Amino acid sequence: MPILEVKELEAGYGPIRALDGVSIEVAEGEAVAIIGANGAGKTTLLMTICGVVSARRGTISFEGRPIVGLPTHAIAKLGIGHAPEGRRIFPRLSVRENLQLGGFTQTDRATVARDIEEACGLFPVLGARMSQMGGTLSGGEQQMLALARALIGRPKLLLLDEPSLGLAPLIVQKIFEVIGSLAKRGIAVVLVEQNARAALKLADRGYVLETGRITLSGPGKELAGDRRVREAYLGEG
Amino acid sequence: MSVQFLLQQCLIGLTNGALIALVALGYTMVYGIIGLINFAHGDLIMLGACLALSLVGALGMTAAGPATTWVGIGGLVLLCGLFCGLLNVAVDRIVYKPLRNAPKLAPLVSAIGVSFIFMNVGLFWLGPADKSFPELLPSTNLLHNDALQFTWKDLLVVLIVGPLMVALSVLVKGTKLGKAMRAVSQDPTAAALVGVDVDRVIAATFFIGGFLGGAASVIYGLYINTIGFQMGFQNGLYAFTAAVLGGIGSIPGAVLGGLVIGLVRALASAYVGERWTGAIVFAILIVILVFRPEGLLGRRVKEKV
Repeated sequence: MPILEVKELEAGYGPIRALDGVSIEVAEGEAVAIIGANGAGKTTLLMTICGVVSARRGTISFEGRPIVGLPTHAIAKLGIGHAPEGRRIFPRLSVRENLQLGGFTQTDRATVARDIEEACGLFPVLGARMSQMGGTLSGGEQQMLALARALIGRPKLLLLDEPSLGLAPLIVQKIFEVIGSLAKRGIAVVLVEQNARAALKLADRGYVLETGRITLSGPGKELAGDRRVREAYLGEG
Repeated sequence: MSVQFLLQQCLIGLTNGALIALVALGYTMVYGIIGLINFAHGDLIMLGACLALSLVGALGMTAAGPATTWVGIGGLVLLCGLFCGLLNVAVDRIVYKPLRNAPKLAPLVSAIGVSFIFMNVGLFWLGPADKSFPELLPSTNLLHNDALQFTWKDLLVVLIVGPLMVALSVLVKGTKLGKAMRAVSQDPTAAALVGVDVDRVIAATFFIGGFLGGAASVIYGLYINTIGFQMGFQNGLYAFTAAVLGGIGSIPGAVLGGLVIGLVRALASAYVGERWTGAIVFAILIVILVFRPEGLLGRRVKEKV
């Protein structure tokens, strides 16, 4: 049974239909990339899974349980972590408080403390800035914080929205390293990226989203080799 | 005009300021969390004062001995706090929550409407004339000094406001709920994504703001000794001004703003004249806001994007 199953999903804003019958599946511990141009509906897809945008039609099930209609916080509590577009860390809370909020659904303080320590092992720069306000971090550090915050909640599924956007290549490399290591820890990942090359290299499988529809799907390597993908998203041809 | 006179006015100003601060917190916390200026807050406190007066009568507190009186006052603070807190939560649930995603003017106008409704309930409860609130505390001077007056009533204000401020500060800084409140005020969607139930946090904020207002209503009755169905408007306006002066959305700002306005009011009415007080307070407010539009302690943190 897939951990996440999205079927014939439709969602949008007012008269605009951003998702037009999208179906995707994510297996346990699998890393899935979703690539597509700006405005294709990638962010809307993640936001609809989390219940921030409401689904108009179709189903979403997480571990076999339908989650359409649940409030966002309840979906998060089921074990879906989300590092949203634009990072959305809490700018006027300290790095430590940002991380503690990541563990909001955890009842055991000691677990949260241990997870924070572990996250600082993953991103040592956060450990050095624990009492600094989130808003004073650099863009790359904020992205690391957003990723770490999502991890503290011990998600079974992690949704990552453009984690490489606007970051220096060295930091992108670091962040992709960490994302790559998640699958080994059994955390399923949905990675939305415009950096299609890196995303497809890392992902087990990928989907191409075009104006609200899935137009192609397949194993990451296969997609990276596809002529249409190479022309449209990898800047070749 | 002696130094003692000045000190006395400062003492009066600070005591009144503490009362204003307690009300200002209700404005600033609600604004901080949903960006709404809750115009009904002053009238909520008026209803709290109505309840306090009714309870004093029903419990026969005017006849109680000193020890019983203090226990009774504690009970009044608790009951009026609960009443105003729960009423505030109910108003949010019924009136503001359905308008959460509406343009900001819609909840604002609704708040003005709630203010009128409260005022009419108050009119029904108290009647059109001002009512005097019984003197439960003796007005003996606690300082063995003729020049400076510090009475049981002043002590009452300190004894209620002090612990409430400490408790609020612990709650906001140190607890999970406080952290969730600050997170929701900064980015409600991001807070929901980490598992915070945003509606519950907003309800908790309305409750706390209302509870502090309920405590303020008891102090008001015991300290000012006159209540009326229109008291909410002017007191609410001063408290709202205090919140803006301190930096709306900032909790320490509301406290500082309340104390500053209390002091300015006391000094203005002692040295310039009662009738100029309002004009002076608001003139100072305008000058401060021209130079610091974000208020005294409003945020000006640089954020990288």
